[in-house]
Amino acid sequence: MGRYVIRRLLQMIPVFIGATLLIFLMVNVMGDPVAGLCGDRECDPATAAQLRREFGLDQPVWRQYLTYMGNVFTGDFGTAFNGQPVTELMGTAFPVTVRLTVVAIVAEIVIGITLGVITGLRRGRPVDTAVLVLTLVVISVPTFVTGLLLQLLLGVKWEWIRPSVSSYAPLDELIVPGLVLASVSLAYVTRLTRTSIAENRRADYVRTAIAKGLPRRRVVTRHLLRNSLIPVVTFIGTDVGALMGGAIVTERIFNIHGVGYQLYQGILRQNTQTVVGFVTVLVLVFLVANLLVDLLYAVLDPRIRYA
Amino acid sequence: MLLEVRDLHVEFHTRDGVARAVNGVSYGVDAGETLAVLGESGSGKSVTAQTVMGILDTPPGRITGGEVLFEGRDLLKLKEEQRRKVRGAEMAMIFQDALSSLNPVLTVGDQLGEMFTVHRGMSRKDARARAVELMDRVRIPGARERVKQYPHQFSGGMRQRIMIAMAMALEPKLIIADEPTTALDVTVQAQVMELLAELQRELRMGLILITHDLGVVADVADRIAVMYAGRIVETAPVHDIYQAPAHPYTRGLLESIPRLDHKGRELYAIKGLPPNLTRIPSGCPFHPRCPMARDVCRTDVPPLYEVSPRRGSACHFFRECLDA
Amino acid sequence: MPEQPYEPERAVAGTGMGGQMDLGASEAATLTPAGPEPAGPQERPRSLWSDAWHDLRRNPVFLISALVILFLIVISLWPSLIAPGNPLQCELSKAQDGSRPGHPFGYDGQGCDVYTRTVYGARTSVAVGVLSTLGVAVLGSVLGGLAGFFGGFWDSVLSRITDVFFAIPVVLGGLVLLSVITSNTVWPVIGFIVLLGWPQISRIARGSVITAKQHDYVQAARALGASNSRLLLRHITPNAVAPVIVVATIALGTYISLEATLSFLGVGLKPPSVSWGIDISAAAPYIRNAPHALLWPSGALAVTVLAFIMLGDAVRDALDPKLR
Repeated sequence: MGRYVIRRLLQMIPVFIGATLLIFLMVNVMGDPVAGLCGDRECDPATAAQLRREFGLDQPVWRQYLTYMGNVFTGDFGTAFNGQPVTELMGTAFPVTVRLTVVAIVAEIVIGITLGVITGLRRGRPVDTAVLVLTLVVISVPTFVTGLLLQLLLGVKWEWIRPSVSSYAPLDELIVPGLVLASVSLAYVTRLTRTSIAENRRADYVRTAIAKGLPRRRVVTRHLLRNSLIPVVTFIGTDVGALMGGAIVTERIFNIHGVGYQLYQGILRQNTQTVVGFVTVLVLVFLVANLLVDLLYAVLDPRIRYA
Repeated sequence: MLLEVRDLHVEFHTRDGVARAVNGVSYGVDAGETLAVLGESGSGKSVTAQTVMGILDTPPGRITGGEVLFEGRDLLKLKEEQRRKVRGAEMAMIFQDALSSLNPVLTVGDQLGEMFTVHRGMSRKDARARAVELMDRVRIPGARERVKQYPHQFSGGMRQRIMIAMAMALEPKLIIADEPTTALDVTVQAQVMELLAELQRELRMGLILITHDLGVVADVADRIAVMYAGRIVETAPVHDIYQAPAHPYTRGLLESIPRLDHKGRELYAIKGLPPNLTRIPSGCPFHPRCPMARDVCRTDVPPLYEVSPRRGSACHFFRECLDA
Repeated sequence: MPEQPYEPERAVAGTGMGGQMDLGASEAATLTPAGPEPAGPQERPRSLWSDAWHDLRRNPVFLISALVILFLIVISLWPSLIAPGNPLQCELSKAQDGSRPGHPFGYDGQGCDVYTRTVYGARTSVAVGVLSTLGVAVLGSVLGGLAGFFGGFWDSVLSRITDVFFAIPVVLGGLVLLSVITSNTVWPVIGFIVLLGWPQISRIARGSVITAKQHDYVQAARALGASNSRLLLRHITPNAVAPVIVVATIALGTYISLEATLSFLGVGLKPPSVSWGIDISAAAPYIRNAPHALLWPSGALAVTVLAFIMLGDAVRDALDPKLR
């Protein structure tokens, strides 16, 4: 197990370097990082040249990347467009997005798995068909449309929620945005659980459990569910990274000042250090989440042994 | 009689129509007796067993008639909760493929112990101790350590012993073994069969042994019931059948076994294919494949004629068959 | 969703029916190199596809989604067939007005006719969806297919590269790359989707080529001395292409959704281009007074994405023999 973890950690290194380098290059292609530093006006050539030297922008790109990554590993993520250190922005933005993501993951687990189990056990019945159609609709409607519609209905028409979340983003105000963020994945979790349950329901070991005279509840929870949830757990785990990266749309609709908001500002102001810094952290979250999922897999399925 | 199945009918609803899997099966088992149920796949032997156990999937399966009398009470009339308490505790089942029949993500100790915690309300610790005892009893070496292992860590024979241990756990009165040795290596088959027969004798259980292996049958069975297209076509004490089958289908089965004393002779094979259960032939369902078929076989369904007091045959011409 | 047909035999036998490939199969292939070239390569794809077509023609989900898609293609080629107006002709005086005769969907915040703009918006979505999917499918299956077929060093490199792309959130990548592009055409968006979308298809193509490579008839053809290019073109491609088509069809829907999302965020297409994403984004601030300006393009977008996803689902169900 220990050796497996080390091997996986080593494998993460090239992916991490590749992903951050790619984003670094993309941001550099994106435009002049100095242009954003003088507010909305254009910088005068002299100031621009000085800023360039200051930030090491006169160096070749690969050296800039190395310098940047060197700084990152000493905890220096550079400076945002407003002069704040990027780490400070992260300190305020990440807790908000993490809270939003937690709401989304909890929704996926509670609602998605419950619906999946119900439909998986009642395949072909009206409940199953209804939920299946609903999941298709949710998957088909883009997240930003779902968000706008819920904002229109719940926030504007019926005034159940605040259409835009207040700046410190308390958990209760994040429930609807969290559901919006989760919506598409939630539908996938439902479908995945349903398929998995329906497949395993006819498995021999489930028949054995019934033949042993176990109560139906125990057959489902202890024998059927445990096996069926293995692929679902994998999906939800890999989704953590995707949710945090995808929060940008939801955060924009509900005006949540999280990671997506800061990234959006960074891109608008063409601030390389903000964008690369945040994306670096997101990539790390994604990679670590994937590693944890793989390790969890071994816990859930004893047939898997890492060597 | 410990168990008596009377005129059982089971059908399945499929896309191609209604498949009549079991059409009026009757058989019985006494305590301490072994009944071997023989037949090709699709003959309804497993469906009958699943109906007796109460593990038939309904839908698509549907029990359309008959009784399953266990110690005199009709199991088909019991409520599911009462039925559940019979399963595992009073009758148990051993399946063919132990690897897929054991839960891959639970330790064998958990799966064995579950019998005691659920049916007997034991603590997990006591149940674990009983699981070790059971594993000792089915002669799994190193039971104390291996109780914490998962099914995939055992060999095929050991896994089937665990299945047997699980079935024996609560000392049921009846065991149904559905092809318990088919998936095993030939050398292991005999050991597992021997263990099963030994435990049966000790606990004086009734045993229904579903198989298509005539060799196994000759060694352990007291009586044989041969099934074809969801019916019993012949039932008899084991020696009678081997001496002289009273149904052409049984004879076909016996003649298709390779025998050393018939070396050099061409092996007999029953011609044709098993019937499609959605379109069972009229009259005697075996007539399209029967070498002795005559006109009456195409029109009249043969009843189970009494050949002798403990013997029946569903062939219009069972006398000719006996003499042949 | 069509319920899978139930086969009692399968339930009765209860053994793992899913056993697909094992080493024994490839052994058999190498042991009988003198046998005739198996009928597989020519027969298999044809029967797979004709079987699938047979199923699809009877599937209402497929028929409805195919009709919707056909309609969308027709109106994106000739929008004036059903929308005589000009999508860029707007009258500020009519801003946010509701439905009028001749203008069934009302007006948006700029006083443009929502109906005309919604009809014209289909062109962008269909163009982005179809062209990106073509690009992604070609690039992804060529790279993935070659890597899967030849294996080795370049295969590992490709796997690492796909890992890198999977680690980057798509919408984020779009924001970064497209934020500086000022072009009004659909090409930058298509280019971006191809750039970030190919790893998904490449993984699928690689996997199915590796599976196809291990099939008996491919092994047999190789044993008979078929060249790499012949193996790849005649034997592997026809069998590996089905999963790619299925995933690509479903992905087409998500690409349309992605274009709208990027346009909503202001980096996809930009006005004066006509796109549902742009219109939805523009309507968001007037959500209180003119919800119709938001609802119509949203509805059109949802129906379009739904049609492609359902089509992909139906095709997958028809092509996946396991689900039959």
